[in-house]
Amino acid sequence: MAESTKKLKKPDVKIVLLGDMNVGKTSLLHRYTERKFKDTVSTVGGAFFLKQWGPYNISIWDTAGREQFHGLGSMYCRSAAAVILTYDMTSWQSYVELEDRFLSLTDTANSDCIFAIVGNKADLTDSHAQASNPEGEEENKPARMSVSSSSLQRKQVNREDAMALYARVLHYKGLDEKACLPAESMCFETSAKTGYNVDMMFETMFELVVPSILKKRNEGESSTVDLEAPSTGKSNKAGCCT
Amino acid sequence: METTDSPVVTSLHQSDKNEMQSENNIDSITEVEDHMTLPRIERSKETKLLDTLTENNSNPRYLPVDIQKEEAVVFDVSETVKAPEDGGHEDSGEFVVAMLARGKLEEQDVCKRISPPILETSLEASTHWDEDVTAETWRQHRKHVFVLSEAGKPIYSRYGSEEALSSTMGVMMALVSFIQSGDNVIRSVYSDEHTVVFMQQGPLVLVSVSSTRQSEQQLRNELLYVYNQIVSMLTQASITRIFEHKKNYDLRRLLAGSEKILDGLLNLVDFDPSFLLSAVHCLPIASSFRDSLSQILQKAITPNLVFSILIAKNQLLTIAQEKMVIEDAKLDPSDLHLLLNLIGASSAFQAGEIWTPICLPSFNPDCYFYAYISYLDPPECTVCLLLLSTDNEAFYAVAECKRKIEEAMQAQNALTSIAKAQSYSVSQVGVSDLRHFMYKPFDVPDNHHQLTQFTSPEMEAPYDSEEEKMRLLDLYRDMHGRIHNTSRPLKLIYHVGLRETLLAWVTTKFELYTCFSPLVTKSCAINAITKLLRWVKKEEDRLFIRYPPKYSTTPNASKS
Ligand SMILES: Nc1nc2c(ncn2[C@@H]2O[C@H](COP(=O)(O)OP(=O)(O)O)[C@@H](O)[C@H]2O)c(=O)[nH]1
Ligand SMILES: [Mg+2]
Repeated sequence: MAESTKKLKKPDVKIVLLGDMNVGKTSLLHRYTERKFKDTVSTVGGAFFLKQWGPYNISIWDTAGREQFHGLGSMYCRSAAAVILTYDMTSWQSYVELEDRFLSLTDTANSDCIFAIVGNKADLTDSHAQASNPEGEEENKPARMSVSSSSLQRKQVNREDAMALYARVLHYKGLDEKACLPAESMCFETSAKTGYNVDMMFETMFELVVPSILKKRNEGESSTVDLEAPSTGKSNKAGCCT
Repeated sequence: METTDSPVVTSLHQSDKNEMQSENNIDSITEVEDHMTLPRIERSKETKLLDTLTENNSNPRYLPVDIQKEEAVVFDVSETVKAPEDGGHEDSGEFVVAMLARGKLEEQDVCKRISPPILETSLEASTHWDEDVTAETWRQHRKHVFVLSEAGKPIYSRYGSEEALSSTMGVMMALVSFIQSGDNVIRSVYSDEHTVVFMQQGPLVLVSVSSTRQSEQQLRNELLYVYNQIVSMLTQASITRIFEHKKNYDLRRLLAGSEKILDGLLNLVDFDPSFLLSAVHCLPIASSFRDSLSQILQKAITPNLVFSILIAKNQLLTIAQEKMVIEDAKLDPSDLHLLLNLIGASSAFQAGEIWTPICLPSFNPDCYFYAYISYLDPPECTVCLLLLSTDNEAFYAVAECKRKIEEAMQAQNALTSIAKAQSYSVSQVGVSDLRHFMYKPFDVPDNHHQLTQFTSPEMEAPYDSEEEKMRLLDLYRDMHGRIHNTSRPLKLIYHVGLRETLLAWVTTKFELYTCFSPLVTKSCAINAITKLLRWVKKEEDRLFIRYPPKYSTTPNASKS
């Protein structure tokens, strides 16, 4: 019985990974949770992952980038304590999409939600090339839509761009830049492939959401689950909700 | 049990006289060379545009070549396409196939004939998008599948990137719309080596270019699977809505990342007979064990939960269904195939749980279910739980059901038993000369709510290499195609090949495909089948889900 109660973990807080298809969200989470990089197969919908962080249970949602269309984006983001906006450093478009398509999905996140801007695939850019070695045995198959990865690619999005986006995100959320975490510490450049900065990025986020957990506990809410309990009495018949 | 035996033999003899002779004729021609690699020479030395559906009695074969050229010009591939020397009407088939087979091969004016290799593609990695589409190897793939929009925009290609193939797809669309403009529908084109099948579904056009000897109907079914897999991700209503709104919408925007799901589907279609038979394959386990798993699923419910499915090693263990829902419509095997493919293609997180909208096209093409997918045995990830709800907010409630199921299974040590379960060897049937079979019963209890199932042993030597497996499956497909031929359906085929003898048989009670060693005699085979049927009957509680469990989660119905 002790074992089963251990299993009934309820998430204390929620972190959401957002960003265009193929930027490497799933790979980042894979790298962090399973310590490896593989040519991941497509994410379908959202994937939920529970991370035990000290005494806290942190849920991380990986999204497929199609939720907007399914109208589920807001569900994934509801009462999120942190949002990780992810782009592909070799794709300017993926950076633009963050603002165009994904930022509005965060409207249902907590009002004190923390934002991080993460540029992934650092291993593909020239400036990072010398920094670390891609792990030998791993295959290097890029996704269909992206450019060949056998050679290095030009870095299309710079750190300055990321920091500028961070400022615009705060502005969008109506937050005062001075009252928030500084852009320097909230913009990351990572590589899911080599592992570069991945642990650091996730663990920074975990540390940063702890106050949010404590605050919630103080407010007497024992878990987020109650908040998000399904509203019963919805469409029950042959299951059709479009 | 004895009762099933005698009719077996008598009906065999009856059909023997009716059907076997004609079949033997065909076989005596085909078995000279290797059966499956021989193209359909007998029928089409000169190629024909065989099958255009006419609605206004205009001659479907009449396609003046100069008009075709004109169409080609529109799509800017005029150089690509050289009509064969003389422009007789009969050339249209050749013309199309050459076009399609050559793709963008501008520099070549002679279309070299390639024999369709069976092995080449077998189980290549499914990432073919970076292939050089002008290379010979690209054209040699057994089966190409293309999806395009009515406006001719490429959506998916099995091999090669859609961009590189956009002119090829343009040509295809030109063909489709050209024939449409005469109020006809293009259905298929045959040549020596290829069968090209077209299918339009709403605003999407799907094309299969195959050098397998599969029937048009089979290829059409496969295209329907592809279409339905796309629908499963977007719903038919949204696809229609999108294209109504913007005719030249680039659907790849919404499907980005799903190519692997379609690649995976087409691989499965080639290697998993479930698709051919439109039936699901259960993992054989003792019926008492299956019942206890079913009970676990029946107990772990929450409002709006409609299907609970337990899968191990990509085969079904059990499926529990909501009473009201299956009264409306039963779960179609093809929907389950699409779900299984989706699970196989999506990333398996050890401790991750997936929550995704998913449409079951045969159930209802316009609405979403919300699927909860989680593995119960990390890190192996072979036992998968799939819970379908109609409530998009139900993630946490459904995740709670999983924990209940996990606990109950732990209490019974069920995972260990599941790990021991495996498919069976044909030797267990105890019939010498029988190498393999596929048996799909129709006389099942609770037929109305039952999921169509089939049973089949592992493929063992000599069918243990990818090539040989594929060869046997191709033989089965060929038999299946002839059995289900709409213009000349057969009940029984006895086929003597060089390397094996096959017998296919449909009755009102079952559909059966068997493979014997080539030395078997007809009477031996008949005997063997009698024994096989007896064995299946004896084992049916283990081989099939006999009584699919149900539950009630609609609030008013049960506990209120
Ligand atoms: N070179 C390189 N490739 C990456 C990296 N992260 C992801 N990829 C590749 O990019 C593609 C998309 O990754 P995925 O994690 O599925 O992206 P998602 O759609 O955002 O979840 C895959 O082919 C990955 O192998 C990275 O850090 N470096
Ligand atoms: Mg992903």
